[in-house]
Amino acid sequence: MARAGTAPSQDKAFLVLHRLRKAYDDTLAVDDLTLEIAKGELVAFLGPSGCGKTTSLRMLAGLTPASAGRIVVEGRDLTHVPPYQRDMGMVFQSYALFPHMNVARNVAFGLEMRKVPRGEIAQRVVEAIALVRLTGREQRRPSELSGGQQQRVALARALVIRPSILLFDEPLSNLDAKLRDEMRTEIREIQQRLGITSIFVTHDQVEALTMCDRIAVMHQGRLEQLGTPEDLYERPATAFVASFVGRTNRLKGIARGDTVETGGLSLRTCGTHQGDVVVMMRPHRIVLGEAGCVSADGRAVNRMTGCVIRTVYAGDVVQSDVRVADSIIAVEQSNRGSGELPAVGATVTLSFLARDTLVYPAAP
Amino acid sequence: MNDHAPSTGLKILAAAMFVFLLAPVLVVVPLSFSGDAFLSFPPSSWSTRWYGRILAEPKIVAAFWTSLTLAATTMVLCLAIGLPAAYAIVRLRIPGAAFLTSLFTAPLLLPSIVLALAILIVFARLGFIGSFRGVLAGHLVVTLPYAVRVLATSIAGLPIACEEAATTLGASPLAVFRRITLPLMLPGIAATAALCFLVSFDEVVLSLFLTGPRLSTLPVEMFHYVETRTDPLIAALSVILVVITLAIVLLVDRTAGLARTFAR
Ligand SMILES: Nc1ncnc2c1ncn2[C@@H]1O[C@H](COP(=O)(O)OP(=O)(O)OP(=O)(O)O)[C@@H](O)[C@H]1O
Ligand SMILES: [Mg+2]
Repeated sequence: MARAGTAPSQDKAFLVLHRLRKAYDDTLAVDDLTLEIAKGELVAFLGPSGCGKTTSLRMLAGLTPASAGRIVVEGRDLTHVPPYQRDMGMVFQSYALFPHMNVARNVAFGLEMRKVPRGEIAQRVVEAIALVRLTGREQRRPSELSGGQQQRVALARALVIRPSILLFDEPLSNLDAKLRDEMRTEIREIQQRLGITSIFVTHDQVEALTMCDRIAVMHQGRLEQLGTPEDLYERPATAFVASFVGRTNRLKGIARGDTVETGGLSLRTCGTHQGDVVVMMRPHRIVLGEAGCVSADGRAVNRMTGCVIRTVYAGDVVQSDVRVADSIIAVEQSNRGSGELPAVGATVTLSFLARDTLVYPAAP
Repeated sequence: MNDHAPSTGLKILAAAMFVFLLAPVLVVVPLSFSGDAFLSFPPSSWSTRWYGRILAEPKIVAAFWTSLTLAATTMVLCLAIGLPAAYAIVRLRIPGAAFLTSLFTAPLLLPSIVLALAILIVFARLGFIGSFRGVLAGHLVVTLPYAVRVLATSIAGLPIACEEAATTLGASPLAVFRRITLPLMLPGIAATAALCFLVSFDEVVLSLFLTGPRLSTLPVEMFHYVETRTDPLIAALSVILVVITLAIVLLVDRTAGLARTFAR
């Protein structure tokens, strides 16, 4: 993956979360969260609804007290520092703009609280508003702005104080798809230009994969995996990560060495395993047709024939479900505009490389 | 509130209700300009002399100033007590918040005559009768429930995220309250102030029990006046009271928006 701008320095841990935990009366919202983030990095907290993303972010900001664990920024323990002394900017899902102040006053608020001299406030507010391209709208009230503009005010308000860490809680979830795309690029561009260490909470995997340096996948309050988008996609650490990031086929089977017996099929897999397992493969890594894939050693290819039971035309791609023995395997081909859709009922050949399989112990 | 235009039937009904509720008030206006020596409707001649005569009644003038001071003091104290109380009940979720709410609202549910009698018995022992603090304490008992109610509703409707955003921007709890919470609560505060002022200003039942020869409020003086005299002076005074009430309501409407304040 090519990334423009200043590369985050990977050596030094700028922000450290150590065994962070939040227990509510009846739920363990965040459990034993430990991770390190380098200066200038943009890290996504990704996970399904209720997995503890917001709670983690709020603990970082100091809005929710942690039940246990430590938060350390640049060697300074912030765990018990009140939120107004933490120097973290936060962009809320609801934007939380001050309704009784205009755009300029909203943006100036953090600087006023920091007792910055008036002249400097005026100048920095102008700069911040220009940065989010809202010049000319300084006197508007939040209620007189569109959702995307409000979102940018929220961003400017958090940026202008030059926080050591910027926290985003699903800031784009209220926007339409096109605006969301634009804002992603804009946020990423500003974040890299200013080199602000940031955490971006989202349950949208595309957002996480396209914007962020690294992604922390959370599941039921626990950190499943922390890695680059490539790590997560190519080398998911757990079955949950594999199925949450990207589409996968998921087959149950019994492993013996480098083969897995599943639903009447015998699949070559990557690495050796024993016992009950789940095998996963990405639909678009499966090739449809006679030619199929070829592997250097010739042996590491899975080849099988099946019957097409469903085909969906999804624009950029064509998705088909193919029944092979007792299993149904989803296949995805990019739409090159030449070939017709695989007909329902047609017999087709599928092939995929052994190294494109992911094998995990079956959940007990 | 409502986006739909009301139907004609509803408009007629509303108009009828307005006439029914406001007719007695409207009768007072022509009466106050009566040139007669007695209250009679319609007046046989017109004059503004009864307005001037009010100033010649020292008891009424004194009672007016007492009522004004009393209402203003009640209003200030209601805000000073009600604001922290409502905040504690809604936000801090202090133990027994539900009980406290009931306690604060209980005086609203009691018949005021019973309340007045009870307060009279207690205050008589303390020597509070006929004193400013006595009447003030009595008025607080009836106005505080309104204050806590309206302020609690107002606080409950505040966007917590705004306060949190202010906190992350470096505002201390006090700064958050001054710069965010208080301004956003302004409609509720204006409503509370107006309500407490008006309730205190025209409170009769409690005041009848708690005032004495040394200290009297305007409604009590008016009550005594009509017991012995029957001239239109009282109508002129009523018109002045209506105008004051209207002025306060309009003021709240201008600063905070009445519909927004009372009908949340
Ligand atoms: N104040 C609270 N009291 C009790 N439980 C809470 C509280 N806040 C959150 N929880 C619980 O903690 C868990 C994690 O919540 P959290 O808001 O962090 O999820 P999330 O990952 O942000 O989800 P979403 O994507 O829906 O925003 C949930 O099970 C939630 O019910
Ligand atoms: Mg959330």
